Amino acid sequence: MVEAIVQKRPASPADIASPAVYSDGIPHEGFAAIRGCEGLVWHPYEDNGFWAVTRHAEVREVSKNPDVFSSAIGHTNLWDLEADALEARRSLIDSDAPDHARLRRVVSRVFTPRAARSWERTARDIAAELVDEFLKRGGGDWVELVAAPLPIRVILAILGVPAEDADYMVELTNHLVEGTGDRPSLPDDAYGNVTPVHLLPFNSPASHALFEYGERMRQLRIAEPADDLVTGLVTAEADGERLTPSEYRNFFQLLVFAGNETTRTAIAHGGMALADHPDQWNLLRQRSDLVEQAVDEVIRWATPVMHMRRTTACDTVLAGTQIAEGEKVVMWYAAANRDPAVFDAPFRFDVSRADNPHFAFGGGGPHFCLGAFLARMEIQVLLEEMAKSDMSLERRGEPVRIASNFVHGVASVELGAA
Amino acid sequence: MSDREQPDDRVRLAVDEDRCIGIGQCELLEPGVFRLGDEDAISRVVDDTGLPRARADEVVDRCPSAAISIVGPSRA
Repeated sequence: MVEAIVQKRPASPADIASPAVYSDGIPHEGFAAIRGCEGLVWHPYEDNGFWAVTRHAEVREVSKNPDVFSSAIGHTNLWDLEADALEARRSLIDSDAPDHARLRRVVSRVFTPRAARSWERTARDIAAELVDEFLKRGGGDWVELVAAPLPIRVILAILGVPAEDADYMVELTNHLVEGTGDRPSLPDDAYGNVTPVHLLPFNSPASHALFEYGERMRQLRIAEPADDLVTGLVTAEADGERLTPSEYRNFFQLLVFAGNETTRTAIAHGGMALADHPDQWNLLRQRSDLVEQAVDEVIRWATPVMHMRRTTACDTVLAGTQIAEGEKVVMWYAAANRDPAVFDAPFRFDVSRADNPHFAFGGGGPHFCLGAFLARMEIQVLLEEMAKSDMSLERRGEPVRIASNFVHGVASVELGAA
Repeated sequence: MSDREQPDDRVRLAVDEDRCIGIGQCELLEPGVFRLGDEDAISRVVDDTGLPRARADEVVDRCPSAAISIVGPSRA
């Protein structure tokens, strides 16, 4: 009986999982082929596979039904983990209700729309300085000079991590992204790591270094509390309980990673898109009222996190396709954000796009990106400072991309500015 | 929906504080109606005059944790 079901699974018409197919960017043709199939298709992966969810409507359905599509059974990355690794790596992202709500409430106060706005002055000063320096140089590596430093400096300010450690934090999170590609760049014992790497987020010894750093911050703030998020995490009581040491370090790691890597990726693609579409950049320079729409278009265009995985808690049906309990279901935001059923001319970069219900922050369920409003604010102040400087942008070659099926990463891209 | 209920009728909304996880989508969409607590970031209705039905449906739909519901017609 089980075999009969397996045989009926329609096979995916394209490879969207191998990191190599991302070496020239998102494999949009493959996603379009899958989106065009009736129901869902089954995509092979390692020893098993996953259901590929590529249409906007179904990404939404999966997101909004966390009781059926679990984040805690298995975890939210594609690969399988042993039970010990699952427990060691458990974080906000990889949890279901009620743990998810408990953990989220520990930090939600810091990331509300109003709280994000309270960091606007900080972010604007950093953005103005970076834009000014970029212009003075006549351009350069947009990632190194603008896209990377802005978000890391903002999240470190929020956490209370000293600004002089920003480069070290960028270095560590770069290694984490490499953990999702084909070629891990570090030996297992890098940074003095002795933990088996399968117990570490992204299978990376850089996670060990981030944990160590987070632990030192924790000790410092226990000794001397400050008005920052690390102090908040150390002293937070979630439903009357302190975060466990494991919850704290996974939180610290998640905040440094997600607060930095994802917004950096959005800004990297945003800079490229504005250089490649001078009509759109000119329009934005003339029409400051379009900036909020432009922010969301940059984020849709970039889709920094390209997928999240869920695992079914029970037998279910999605898009008319039978899914058995315990199967992987993968939401491809990268595909949903180009779904022609929802987006008018989805491959047009349009800063005046008014109706833009993109899923770059998730599909609208409880795992909605914690940093969404912070990211929007950072990108908005950057676009405003760029417009104020009246800079022109031009592309000076192809980007160096990160071959990852998870983060739509750009390692470097040369832009000219005048 | 009965015949006399039209989409532009105003309706009142409520937040289930046990479901709210403090994301803030509601306050962003309707800052006059919802406000997140400064300390607990839990959303509360601060203006009970309600919203037009279509807008209320959108706010309910956009809440990521499904904490908002329509509780009845506006008394206003």
